[in-house]
Amino acid sequence: MTEKSWMYAVLEAVQAEMRADPALTWIFELTPPVASNPGMPVINLETEFGRKRVVNTGIDENWMASAVLGAGLAGSRSATYIPYQGALIPFEVIQNVAGKLRSMTGGKASMPVVWIIEMTGQTPGFAGQHSCYEEDSYYMHIPGVRTIIPSTPYDAKGLMVAALRSPDPVVYLYPAGLRTLTEEVPDEQYEVPLDKAAVRLEGSDLTIVSSGGGMPGVLEAAEVLKAEGMGVEVIDLRILKEMDTETLVTSVAKTKRLLTVDQSYYTLCPGAEVIARCAENVDGARFKRVAFPDAPPPASPEMFLWMRPSVEGIAGAARALVG
Amino acid sequence: MTDSSGQDVTHPREGEGHPLSASRRGFLKFAALSGAAVSVSMSARRAMADGAIGYHAMDLPDDKLVDMYRTILNIRWHERTQADQMLGNPEYRGYNHFYAGQEAVATGVCAALRNSGPFDQIDLVYSSHRPSGHAIAKGVDIPKMVAEMDFRATGMNGGYGAEMHISDPAVGFIGADGMIGPAPVIASGSAFAFRARGSDQVAVVFAGDGNYAAPHFHSTLNNAKLLDLPLIYVCENNLYHQYAHYSYSCPHTDIADAAAAYGIPARTVDGQDVTQVYNAAKEAVDRARAGGGPTFIEAKTYRYYNHWGAPGAKQGELGAFGYDPLAITSFRPEREVRAWMQRDPVDIARNILVDWGILDEARAAAIEEEVKAEIKAAFEWGLSQPLCTPEDGLKHVFAEGTVVPRQFG
Repeated sequence: MTEKSWMYAVLEAVQAEMRADPALTWIFELTPPVASNPGMPVINLETEFGRKRVVNTGIDENWMASAVLGAGLAGSRSATYIPYQGALIPFEVIQNVAGKLRSMTGGKASMPVVWIIEMTGQTPGFAGQHSCYEEDSYYMHIPGVRTIIPSTPYDAKGLMVAALRSPDPVVYLYPAGLRTLTEEVPDEQYEVPLDKAAVRLEGSDLTIVSSGGGMPGVLEAAEVLKAEGMGVEVIDLRILKEMDTETLVTSVAKTKRLLTVDQSYYTLCPGAEVIARCAENVDGARFKRVAFPDAPPPASPEMFLWMRPSVEGIAGAARALVG
Repeated sequence: MTDSSGQDVTHPREGEGHPLSASRRGFLKFAALSGAAVSVSMSARRAMADGAIGYHAMDLPDDKLVDMYRTILNIRWHERTQADQMLGNPEYRGYNHFYAGQEAVATGVCAALRNSGPFDQIDLVYSSHRPSGHAIAKGVDIPKMVAEMDFRATGMNGGYGAEMHISDPAVGFIGADGMIGPAPVIASGSAFAFRARGSDQVAVVFAGDGNYAAPHFHSTLNNAKLLDLPLIYVCENNLYHQYAHYSYSCPHTDIADAAAAYGIPARTVDGQDVTQVYNAAKEAVDRARAGGGPTFIEAKTYRYYNHWGAPGAKQGELGAFGYDPLAITSFRPEREVRAWMQRDPVDIARNILVDWGILDEARAAAIEEEVKAEIKAAFEWGLSQPLCTPEDGLKHVFAEGTVVPRQFG
């Protein structure tokens, strides 16, 4: 195993699948599928597989999203990397075509398709359009589409392998703020299942649930709380659809207190769904949501950093819930 | 080539200078002195006969031409000063998608527009993620724009928007848009409103070559033509969308060819020559105000800096020549940048004005020094403004009130 960066781990997964399946295609705009890692060969999908299979398009996310769907319907596995500039432009084709097609065709449509949707959300100063983190709420609402969101390089690779091999269409959310993470990642292909949350920390006083770009802050807050003597259980959702209700309910049945943390807007954030599922299944539990306010992220770092859920904000909410 | 309205579509000629322009203006002056209206119309015919656009710029009063030169300098020194801030001031937090190199496009187009007066009478400009040149040319307050780009509470948009969202409707600058695609379609909606309410206002959208690939480009032109909207689509073809050459996203050498296919009068102009841009814009504005519908102008131009910020640039020097690590697929060669800088919009504008006897070199240089001092003062003011109050982030979500803080549970 080698310590690998996020994008190296992801492209390693794609490269191995493309070597094994000459029909697999990759469409990108502006973000070349290139990654390097100390002591490892540079991965460049465009030069390795050529421009027939790896296409640099114009700025047209509608085409990118639709084209991979068409490739999938024609029997070719296909993936596209949608940068954050266009994260919601593919929505219509994913929501109103891909999400419904298997049902509408009575099960005949096969869609081995992956949309990698980049999210920012961690960038003070970019303002409104370039620092939003709301794609999770929108895409997880769609039936028929598996919406997933890794928070570690290990999961980023394993979930990519599983997504590329899935017969179902997958929205693979990529919180770009995590690009600086590195960890030990196996060189060989492995799958992280598309239906399991991960328990990152075990404890009996409080369950904290988050995902994607929210996880580093949650883990940091959990260390602070642990040092204060609180038994914190941390769950990383990983999968927004189909959400792993069992892992969530089992934890909250034990701790009876649930704090959810999202960088998405408060209304309909993933945590709202988590709380609803636990409330239906666990009697006598208490709940609290930390999320970005229902406001577009302002440019000013003073405003933005105050509004974004922070380690201090998470720890404070946890103390209020447990105390 | 000829577009569907039967007009000649001109193409900039390589290395074209301005002796013809100067002689035309000289001829016009002579004709006016001799008091012969016939001579004026004859000169107009002569101007059209060689395939050129009507040379409207030479009819402009001297002070208007000097204003255009000053606007080009304002943009240039704003960009250079901001690039130097990014490179040399660790306290500075602002950024830009620099417009340097393209100044003549915004200046020439906006000089043909109505920029002051009641909001229901001025022309509206929709901009892109590369907005500072458009904003300055439309007449925004430069110190307030500087403050906005550094996230100051007293900035043009209170620190909420910063570079990619600057906006000042009071001068008809509807504003920047950080996304590629939507702005032209929305601009066509403003043009639709003008036509519906019987106004002679026009809507202008500035968009780059990258916009061609988006479905919005085609929707805009189709609907603008179908409804005869007073829309001017200014395609600033600076050859690169982000880090990729436009041949990755458009099969045409001239993007204007695509507009002609929609039945819209289309021209390509030398975007480095403010008079050529003005001529095309004046023709387009006249057509739109007269109810003649949309026009497409493709300005061939170039940006001196990389897509975003100042990587590869050096403090105190114009342009970026270094390698941009974000540009892996398609990166522009340094020689291309230097070749374009040989046809600099500042030099071209100054040479025309000197050639036409409107300025001498000494006065032209003095104006540049005045502009530099004004821009320096704008940065001093902007960067001394107060920072934003965190809690104000909950404001301006709706017309009234604040939303609830949710980040503390």
